[in-house]
Amino acid sequence: MSLSLSSFRGLASRFPARPTSVTAMATTAASPITQCLRALSTTASALAPLVPSKKPKKDTTKKAGRGAEVRDPKMINMLSHFAVLSPKRIPPPLRMGRNRHLRHWTIHRAWLLFRRREREARERTLMRQYQSMNNACEELRLTAGPGTRDEGYLYRVALEKKGIYGLYGVPIEYARAQTDTPAKVAWDHDWKR
Amino acid sequence: MMSVSGRGSALLRSSHRVCTQCARSATPRIIAARPSPAFQLAARRCYAAEAAAAAPSQPPPSTPPPVTTTTTTTTARPATAGDPSAYRIKSGVILTRPPLLTRDQTPFESAFYLYQKRLNERLTAPFRRPFYYKQDTALDLDFGIKLRERHGVPAKDIGRYNPRGRLGWNDELLVGSTTSDPAYVVDRLLADAEVRVSEDGEPIAPEERVPVEAPLQRRTAADETGDVRRLDRAMDRTLYLVVRREVEGGEAVWEFPAGQVPTEETLHKTARRVLEETAGVNMNTWFVGRVPVAHHMIKPVVAEDGASVVQRGEKIFFIKGRILAGQADLAGNKHGFTDFQWLTQEELEAVLPEKYFRSVRGMMDPR
Repeated sequence: MSLSLSSFRGLASRFPARPTSVTAMATTAASPITQCLRALSTTASALAPLVPSKKPKKDTTKKAGRGAEVRDPKMINMLSHFAVLSPKRIPPPLRMGRNRHLRHWTIHRAWLLFRRREREARERTLMRQYQSMNNACEELRLTAGPGTRDEGYLYRVALEKKGIYGLYGVPIEYARAQTDTPAKVAWDHDWKR
Repeated sequence: MMSVSGRGSALLRSSHRVCTQCARSATPRIIAARPSPAFQLAARRCYAAEAAAAAPSQPPPSTPPPVTTTTTTTTARPATAGDPSAYRIKSGVILTRPPLLTRDQTPFESAFYLYQKRLNERLTAPFRRPFYYKQDTALDLDFGIKLRERHGVPAKDIGRYNPRGRLGWNDELLVGSTTSDPAYVVDRLLADAEVRVSEDGEPIAPEERVPVEAPLQRRTAADETGDVRRLDRAMDRTLYLVVRREVEGGEAVWEFPAGQVPTEETLHKTARRVLEETAGVNMNTWFVGRVPVAHHMIKPVVAEDGASVVQRGEKIFFIKGRILAGQADLAGNKHGFTDFQWLTQEELEAVLPEKYFRSVRGMMDPR
């Protein structure tokens, strides 16, 4: 299980995928028999092309390698960018001295405390609002009226959900999010029905 | 017995009175069980109002009080509280303008945000300029000028800090620094947004640069002048609409618009009607629900014999509404209100009567 991919690299190079010796034989001795064999072979595509022997000659004369190909500068840019983004060149995780790390820990705990206080204040507000509604509803439930209505009539109607949900249940203007700075016209005072 | 009733009260509270169909199915059973229908209802229901009404008028001599009556809430009320006519039922509107702006950052928050930005700068890959700007274009030259002015720091709003330099460890602010101030951050971003190089790559002279439009101030003219009738004031707070009612032979009272509920109306209908009659139709409002969010009770004034009501009490139930556009206009209102204000919670506390404010305080948000 401890074998990594790198341990197989040598293997791959020792057994190249292309049988070069066979192709060399085929090109040097292009006898009619081999031609026939090639024509009859069902695995022609697995064989190398007929003129690979010129390639090494080219490489030896020019010595340019891959640089001979004209590459798009955008591609070069991109590749060097990926090189920068590679894990080798990404800065290491934060290394801090002891006191610095203690300060970091303190800041972190202070932030958690801040979040916690905010959350609890929000929960308290919600509970208070719920209690207020609850008290009002309880009073409403014990109220007879208006006029000749019996006890709890207003409460029952208040709890009805008819026409509350649906397409126009909540106006679209209500979806406005809060912003850091106001709009040019902060409030439309001249709105007319 | 008390424990049993205590446990059962929750079930009984959600009994047949809530739903008419259930009530219909449950009523015959009760009538069959007991002879007097008036007492039946009082016995079966565990409502304070019914029980209080039934107890003094018709004390059952023979039968012991049923279990359910022991579960009634023992609120101290005048003897006439059970009489429906002792109270006037009113429906009021608490019309609020939600906050338009986010709240101010606390100094700790803004300092923490800057701290996180600098830590992030320490952790990310270096900024590669040729990847984002093609060499020697106008944008590239522009960025180069600004980068030089920032002393080579690619980030715009973290101050002078280079995580890869010799002082990369020095990412903390000193006491009294304004670098984390939101105003400073906005200022830096605005300065950076200015175009410094013309289209053909020539640097623009300082007097020819076009300044970037700054965002508007969070405080408006209404805030500065203290105009409490405008709606663009205190924009990071909730505003509440209060109206002034003149009282005969006394001081005027500030309160939320409210009106009596007639027999054929319900709370939310009355609230809508009252709001239109009070503040006009030119307000885009939305009522959050039909359930009251708060209530206020004024006890009736009872004569000395304890039976007759001299002055009826009031039960005011408040429905919560939101205003989305428009402005209140009290001209020609039918309820005799003379003035209005849009106030924050603290200002309400100063203006409203104390008991009244305490009744509605529960529905308010601290913002």
